[in-house]
Amino acid sequence: MSAIIENNQLPFSAKFLQFYKDRTLLAILLSLFAVMFIYGIFFTENYLTITNFKAIIRDAALYGIMAIGLTFVTLSGNFFLLSLKETASICGVTFAMGMATGFGSPDLAGNFLVSLLAALAVGVVSGVIQGYFVGMGGNPIVVTLGGAGILYGIGAWWSDNLVINFTRPHDAEWLGTGSFLGLPSITWSFILIAIAAEIVLRHTNFGRKVYLVGANKAAGKATGHENFSMAIIVFTICSVCCAFVAVAFVAQMDSAQSNYFSAEFGSSGDMTILVIATVMVGGNSIMGGYGSTLRTSLGAIFIAMVDNMMVLQGFNSGPRIVGVGLMIVFSIIVFGLFAKGSRAQE
Amino acid sequence: MSTNPILKISKVSRTFGAIQALKEANFEINEGEIMGLVGENGAGKSTLVKIISGFDPGFKGSYQINGKEVKFETPSQAEESGIAIAQQELSLIPNMSVAENIFLTGAKVKKFATLNTLAKMARPYLDEVGLTEVDPTTRINLLSVGEQHLVEVARLISREAKILILDEPTAALGEAESRRILEMVERLAANGKSIIYVSHRLDEIFKITKRITILRDGVSQGIQETKDIDVNKLVEIMLGRELANMFPSKADHISDDPKLEVKELWPDGVLEPVSFSAFKGEILGLSGQLGSGAGEVLASIAGALQSRSGSLTLNGETFLPKSPSHAIKKKIAYCSSDRKKDGLFLGRPIFENLTSPALGAISKYGFNFGSSEDNYSRNLAKEFLIDVKRMHDESGLLSGGNQQKVALGKWLSIKPDVLLVNEPTRGVDVGAKSEIYQRMRELAARGITIIFASTDIQEITYLPDRVITFYRGMMIDEHRLEKIKTPIILKEITDPFNETNL
Repeated sequence: MSAIIENNQLPFSAKFLQFYKDRTLLAILLSLFAVMFIYGIFFTENYLTITNFKAIIRDAALYGIMAIGLTFVTLSGNFFLLSLKETASICGVTFAMGMATGFGSPDLAGNFLVSLLAALAVGVVSGVIQGYFVGMGGNPIVVTLGGAGILYGIGAWWSDNLVINFTRPHDAEWLGTGSFLGLPSITWSFILIAIAAEIVLRHTNFGRKVYLVGANKAAGKATGHENFSMAIIVFTICSVCCAFVAVAFVAQMDSAQSNYFSAEFGSSGDMTILVIATVMVGGNSIMGGYGSTLRTSLGAIFIAMVDNMMVLQGFNSGPRIVGVGLMIVFSIIVFGLFAKGSRAQE
Repeated sequence: MSTNPILKISKVSRTFGAIQALKEANFEINEGEIMGLVGENGAGKSTLVKIISGFDPGFKGSYQINGKEVKFETPSQAEESGIAIAQQELSLIPNMSVAENIFLTGAKVKKFATLNTLAKMARPYLDEVGLTEVDPTTRINLLSVGEQHLVEVARLISREAKILILDEPTAALGEAESRRILEMVERLAANGKSIIYVSHRLDEIFKITKRITILRDGVSQGIQETKDIDVNKLVEIMLGRELANMFPSKADHISDDPKLEVKELWPDGVLEPVSFSAFKGEILGLSGQLGSGAGEVLASIAGALQSRSGSLTLNGETFLPKSPSHAIKKKIAYCSSDRKKDGLFLGRPIFENLTSPALGAISKYGFNFGSSEDNYSRNLAKEFLIDVKRMHDESGLLSGGNQQKVALGKWLSIKPDVLLVNEPTRGVDVGAKSEIYQRMRELAARGITIIFASTDIQEITYLPDRVITFYRGMMIDEHRLEKIKTPIILKEITDPFNETNL
């Protein structure tokens, strides 16, 4: 039999980029971390304190969890779930309703488990419905924008646009403000979810399918992996992550309102932009098929660090949102530069 | 006939990365001559045509017009020298009138003109191509495809083109319309235009050309006088005898144990329901030109294309696959003709591509920690002669031949009973071609039933044990083993009903 035919005629630059693409993006991100850290130590007061690092990692946890959910959507080639904050909004309202009124039955009022399950169920339902329409061939941008309007509208309608309060002490304090071994519960949740997501993506058939379908939908279909079920599952994962974050946030605030996630959330206002930025800054491919939740987690910490620095430097929310926007643009440019030349040569 | 050719190309070569599309091509055409240009898929016809028409300046060799060396950087420079090309895909604007399309660009376009003036200006050109009865103010999309081709040519001659390249003008046309094109070609030649006629339809080539240039593997095989040569000789030169031994020998006999029975399958693109059986361990070829329905039949067996009716019987079960995943569960594998579109995950590593249809087999309870996948994909790679060292490279970085091996090899992971392959060697170099044929034969010997569709006449003659021919959505005939002969198949897939009376 003839020897293995090898094609060594690829341009050197393509090989070089292919080999170093992963490392380069990671190296850029890590060196930015280092620069930020050193700048912080020398030029920012109150930077090198435990309280401040807890604040950073706490912020990162909130949108990090949602971004991990969104990473599944993006990796599978279904772009974005644009109804992130609206999903969180309706789930937060659901949770607060449960804690405050028990959905009309006073026996259940303040029951954490029932409220949590109700909020997660709302997340599942909205995820399944949006995923169904995307799986049927709907454009994810259009479907989830429509979903955003509907979800927000229902939440606002149900709560009459009022703030729903429930008073302390309540059963959800451990999740909202509690901590374990010195770290906030939400941070622990973030760490556990990040590890679980990475294991799912790397070591399960489902994870592999996410990458394959994201890399090429048509080839996915031809090898028996349809985007229909994939879209439903990834949108559900993402929506459930939104629901969980909403519950944690509402538990922390002891109250919920339908526009909490547009204005009050985190330090930079709009949650959808923040979460999409997190996925992008991590260096995940917008077109799908390339990236990981580990990248997303690093992206979340990076954004939280930048944001924290700007807070300590005395910027108010306007410039900080500009900062997030610049980070999205920057990550797209860097990713575009390094992705070029690595893909299919003739 | 003048002794000085109007266009002369000598010792032209062209490489694209690792692929040598043209090795040494010589070509010439005289004034008022119709020159046929034939060759298999991948022989370099389209590369040569692109060089002549100025689309591809990156070649080596000499290009002379009227004895003067020229170098075109863009197609418009070639057009100024009187060279124009009518491509297979028309470049007309469907909802504009005939006259407007003819004078869309070029020196004769006036800044302001009414449709009537344009129509008057268009008249002589339309007459010249034989569209005497067509009103120049008609919208293009009201004309038939054949008439649109004629309008395209009228547009070219309106810009004083002296050398016209017609690239497969009749590929999508019926017999009557094809005849109009041929008449036009002859009329234009009589008016002193030189015409390069590229076609797979050898009957047409024999009917209208005086001389024929044959390309094989990027090398021109000398210019043949049409009257000195017959179809068999032409095909022989086209294919080259020494290439026949790149094919493995056929089976000794065909088993009479039908493995897959196809009953009344009727997908879009096929005129009437199709029924046939495929036997255990045979290679069955479906032969037909583009649009003949052979590929559609294959796709509908695999569930990739919906069939209006019919059923398959495989291993005693009767069913009609609704989707590719349904077919995969029934152990039917389908390798499509376009590996970039739905054959490969180009951005993912090779080993992921190889195991993609059989994730269940490489995992336990849905978890996959790599070791069994590693073994699995290595074995597949070894079997298909894919470099094991490159398993973690993106599959998009492989050459066309190696990509095709991955696209085909991945289907072994489901241990198929039936392997369907559409165009097994499209865009694949000769070395990999021969390896793929070898592999297909070995798989068949192992008892897998292989059905493939191909427009490559050489492949369809030498590879399969049985051939079924298709023509315009109809099943024509079936041949076995030594009864498979190139001229008979060519006849059946191009002109089974003697419509051309060659």
